[in-house]
Amino acid sequence: MKHRGRGVACGWYGIARTAAMDRAAVWVELDDGGTVKIATGVTEIGEGILTGLCQIAAQEMGVRPEDIVLGDNDTARVPEAAHAGATRMTYMIGNAVAVGCREAFGKFREAMSSYWEVAPGSIHAFAGEVWVEGSSIKRMSMADAVQVLKKERGIVIVGSGLFTSQHTPLDPDTGEATPWQSYVFGAQIAEVEVDDDTGEVQVLGVWAAHDVGRVVNPQQVEGQIEGGVVMGLGHALMEDYIQVDGQTTTPGFAKYILPTSLDVPQVTSVLIEEPDPKTPLGVKGIGEPSITPTAPAIINAIYDAVGVRITRLPATPERVMEALRNKRLVAAEQSERA
Amino acid sequence: MLTFDQYLTPATLADALRALHEIPGARVVAGATDLLPWARDGRAGDVHLSALVDVSRLAELGGVSLAHGRIRMGAATTIAAFQHDPLLREQAPVLARSAVWFADDQLREQATVGGNLINASPAGDSQPALLATNTNVTLARLENGSIVERTLPLSEFIVGPGKTRREPREIMTQLELDALPGHGAAFEKVGHRRSMVISTVCLAALVKLDRAGLRIEDARIAIGAVGPVPERLDDVEAFLTGHMPTSASLREAAEMAVRRVRSRSRQAYRREVLVNFVERALVSALAHGGLAVKRSPKETEHV
Amino acid sequence: MSELKRHSVAATEGRYPMTQITATVNGREVSRSVPNHYRLIDFVREELKLTGNKEGCGAGECGTCSMFVDGKLVKSCLTPVQKIQGAEVETIDDLDRDHGMTVLQRAFHKCGSSQCGYCIPGMVMAATSTLRRNPVASLDEIKEGLGGNICRCTGYQKIVDAVELARDVLNGSKPESALGEEDATGFIGHSTRRLDAPAKVTGAIKYAADMWMPNMLHMQVLRSPHPYARIVRIDTTAARAIPGVECIITSADVPGVDNFGVAIDDQPIMARDVVRYVGEGVVAVAAETPDIARAAVRSIEIEYEVLPALFSAHEAMQPGAVQLHDFAANNICKHTRIRKGDVEAGLKDADLVVEETYQTAAIEHAYLEPEAGLAYLEADGCVTVQSPSQNITHHRHMLARILGRPINKVRMIMSTVGGGFGGKEDMLYQGMLALAAIKTRRPVRYVFTREESFVASAKRHPIEIRYTMGLKRDGRITATRMIMVADGGAYAMSTPYVMNKTAILGPGPYAIPNVWVDAIGVYTNNTPCGAMRAFGAFQSEFATEAHLDLCAQRLGMDPVALRMVNLMRDGATTHTRQQLDRVLATECLSAVVSAAGWDAGVPFRQGKGNKARIDLGGPGTRAPCTLGASLSPPQKKVPVGSPDAVMNK
Repeated sequence: MKHRGRGVACGWYGIARTAAMDRAAVWVELDDGGTVKIATGVTEIGEGILTGLCQIAAQEMGVRPEDIVLGDNDTARVPEAAHAGATRMTYMIGNAVAVGCREAFGKFREAMSSYWEVAPGSIHAFAGEVWVEGSSIKRMSMADAVQVLKKERGIVIVGSGLFTSQHTPLDPDTGEATPWQSYVFGAQIAEVEVDDDTGEVQVLGVWAAHDVGRVVNPQQVEGQIEGGVVMGLGHALMEDYIQVDGQTTTPGFAKYILPTSLDVPQVTSVLIEEPDPKTPLGVKGIGEPSITPTAPAIINAIYDAVGVRITRLPATPERVMEALRNKRLVAAEQSERA
Repeated sequence: MLTFDQYLTPATLADALRALHEIPGARVVAGATDLLPWARDGRAGDVHLSALVDVSRLAELGGVSLAHGRIRMGAATTIAAFQHDPLLREQAPVLARSAVWFADDQLREQATVGGNLINASPAGDSQPALLATNTNVTLARLENGSIVERTLPLSEFIVGPGKTRREPREIMTQLELDALPGHGAAFEKVGHRRSMVISTVCLAALVKLDRAGLRIEDARIAIGAVGPVPERLDDVEAFLTGHMPTSASLREAAEMAVRRVRSRSRQAYRREVLVNFVERALVSALAHGGLAVKRSPKETEHV
Repeated sequence: MSELKRHSVAATEGRYPMTQITATVNGREVSRSVPNHYRLIDFVREELKLTGNKEGCGAGECGTCSMFVDGKLVKSCLTPVQKIQGAEVETIDDLDRDHGMTVLQRAFHKCGSSQCGYCIPGMVMAATSTLRRNPVASLDEIKEGLGGNICRCTGYQKIVDAVELARDVLNGSKPESALGEEDATGFIGHSTRRLDAPAKVTGAIKYAADMWMPNMLHMQVLRSPHPYARIVRIDTTAARAIPGVECIITSADVPGVDNFGVAIDDQPIMARDVVRYVGEGVVAVAAETPDIARAAVRSIEIEYEVLPALFSAHEAMQPGAVQLHDFAANNICKHTRIRKGDVEAGLKDADLVVEETYQTAAIEHAYLEPEAGLAYLEADGCVTVQSPSQNITHHRHMLARILGRPINKVRMIMSTVGGGFGGKEDMLYQGMLALAAIKTRRPVRYVFTREESFVASAKRHPIEIRYTMGLKRDGRITATRMIMVADGGAYAMSTPYVMNKTAILGPGPYAIPNVWVDAIGVYTNNTPCGAMRAFGAFQSEFATEAHLDLCAQRLGMDPVALRMVNLMRDGATTHTRQQLDRVLATECLSAVVSAAGWDAGVPFRQGKGNKARIDLGGPGTRAPCTLGASLSPPQKKVPVGSPDAVMNK
């Protein structure tokens, strides 16, 4: 017999390095052909930050994402951006890219306003086109603008960006601190089906709402949420690195069980988009926050389905059956006493 | 890592048998899906063999045909054929039901039925369905230069975890099993996920009703992963045969299976699941055969 | 089985007989002589240098190596190379036959289906196989077709979306324009297609294990079989005598300060005098081929004096327990405390006090890319290490000190990362690689097996959480006490920082006047634990959210309502007494309740005689998985042309 149930869980997470100063630096150059070079310490580990940084730079510099060349991931060639983790990539490096691009674009505006003899504020650029607001003739491609500034004015447009997040260490006795500047909140609901013949749990649906700040790329934010939910599902139901006297009994993927395409729920992501007021771009992060509510939402849904509380992860079929067995024993004892 | 002095791909069964005869320590390989993972850290580690004799393309180990109510199938038939071969799908649908649970799509293209039986893993997923269809296996060996064959029932072939009655220089050539297109079939399995998963309990059930569609004329239930070898639940089969199945009798039949669990680990779990599986598979095989029997309510319901 | 384990001269020296293989690979006939133990994956990657398909596990359990052999998709790590003699092989590298991306690859690009990209070549192959077999495959059939391929990043949803899109475009039910990019009126906020996707869906992008340099050596590492032992003697005489062995290193070869760590300097780059966990590196060999290096590792003899070891955090903290590191009294690596208000008073004030203990498991990151790296010397004497390191900045600092060189003579390049999740923040092998490159003045590459990755890399901390919560009848939490004990394993790695995060975030996004948290990370002889996605908060927040459900049950309250009562609002003060400004916690809960259609009054109403549930099985849920999607309906026919013709258009 199959039983369905639902569970809810909330979560929160601090963005970037914990209780320690966090920093990221970027160099920017507006380059020939209306392209832009961005140099920064670390980027992609799979989350999509490379694309996100190119989107940010494109927006700030008035070019297209494919016009960006990202120099990255090399301690001898690019400025420090610390490490790739801690849900800090969009927040730390995204903001640093914005700061650096704004400096470079400010210089570009100045130079073009002098060339066109207009106020800097009237210069606009988007997707590789530069124009003066309200003018039909003062308009050219970014490629030509770069050429004009280099050839006629001897100007190379460069900028640099630094973003710092002010975090304080924990008081050793009380823990008092400002460990992060920005937090991400979230809540998830899971629907499960429990098979009382086997103790198997199938997660059929997960709804996930997260306060992600300003969204750079909705598809990639969803990708992080879907991936986090499924990793959380694995932790909730399957994954267990077991050691016996220090020797692992789960030394590979045959014994260490990960979810497959047949084990995963449909995931519905809800992005609560309110820009973070404390940073230049208003962006936050979602890599880690997405995983925290999933396992408890599933465990709570198992209770809703069959009335047993699993307190030890993972909730394998054996553990669910054992809990059901114990529940029956308790019920039998109670009815005997009654 | 698996290393060896020679890898042989003989053209005929005779050549393959000769190689086994002449090279001490030579080992037969078919799909290689169990052999290569075995020779890795955490299991056997680095292993060096004198020779591997690849039998997967031998004509003598191929073919699927039907004669006199029995299916003949080469030992090198892949598990994928259980799903895709039209004759097997029609004449032995229980094989396809078990195949969809076997590893994954890609391993099923490589893994062979003979290999799965010879490896004799207690959790081998093809075994219960083949036991339920009264499979005989034929083994060939070389004697004084000529090929000699012997045939024995699968139930006698596997004798323990990783242990069979195959002699080191024998090659399994063919299987023969009952064609049972008219039986209701069911296959049950549980592991820790739904693909690429080792069975904790698995079971195949076949049921045939009499002409009136009321009494069980033939019942076959085979179980795997709960003891050192897969086995038929002959007592349960006898209990059911000739009787009209009712919710109560199916439950009673299922509870008879409990003592069959002989695994050293997760016993309580396996007992409970096995009983549930017998009951559930019988209900589902009967439904497949055209008779709806309701399952008895469980104590866990409405708790 | 061990009677089969015998070593010929070939195995002793790592030189195996060669075999001549002739096959058609991606439409071209190739004929090569390769070691006879090669598998198809070795032939394609190491011999033909077609590195699009990956080796994720070597045991047929992940699908990164899936290739077609005579039209059938197989796992090439389980295919002895002799099986492709005369066959046609297709790999990801030229699946498009130079026609740009295939429709399926374009759909992966469009749908954002690749993240780290390491599983993607195998996924594309599995999806291609599924659609070649049935161009109108159902959703369940597609999922079963991908059932042999593991992805750790995406959650599979966008991969399945892409296969459905490709199916529809290929069978003509959707126009090809469905694969195009939508116009953008702005770039921030737009679902710009991933710029790295074309290289990932075609297998063109290079990960560390795909790199190859002229004159390159190959590293293998001998690892500890014991959880705790003194190294009495290391004998490398036999290994040094093997032709092709270029360098053998131990901790004795480290020129600088061999003591480092993410948070605490407690770790050598290879075991020094003692081993503290099973899998700790002890000796590294660099040789002309991986086979020779592996043979050399097998021939090294180490004498150990096995010491009594600690496998439980609780035992390790007992007085009189063995001390695993001199500086850590009672083996406590880190104790983080949060104290706010008066918890005893808060519990006294409560109408209900609920206690429970929760336990989480040790977790493997299971990125599909096993650790790999390539080190070499540059003309100016700088030693460069390319590896999928998540922290090149700190690795450079640490490595310069270990190697005793100026920091600008150490260069770390982060190669394309095939999944990290925190597991690639630790410097597990880069030190050995750099040292070997300096000693041999040749490039040295090291690629972990999956099994090495499991035993050698840090895990998520298993944490026991003892919970006490006091609540008023209306649901308000008056006090929370969490006592958490984490097994940190043999070295600190990120344990101190993980303890901080588990403690700070543990009590959850709730306004609680009285809070007491202890998070204690303990040294044992288990595999070290370190950084992993959500870094301790996964464990502590799991306990909190499971516990709140139990409290809701005891109070007879709806679990959403209980949370609503307690969630932080604008201006809330956190457990570390930080004043927040904007707090969107209740907005998130309201949004998810409305998206899912939460039926207030659940949980566990089923069977209790209340009104029927109205919330289950609606939009946003999938059908339960029953295997055998391809069995039920008759196989449908291709609308036009053969499946292959459609796929190659």
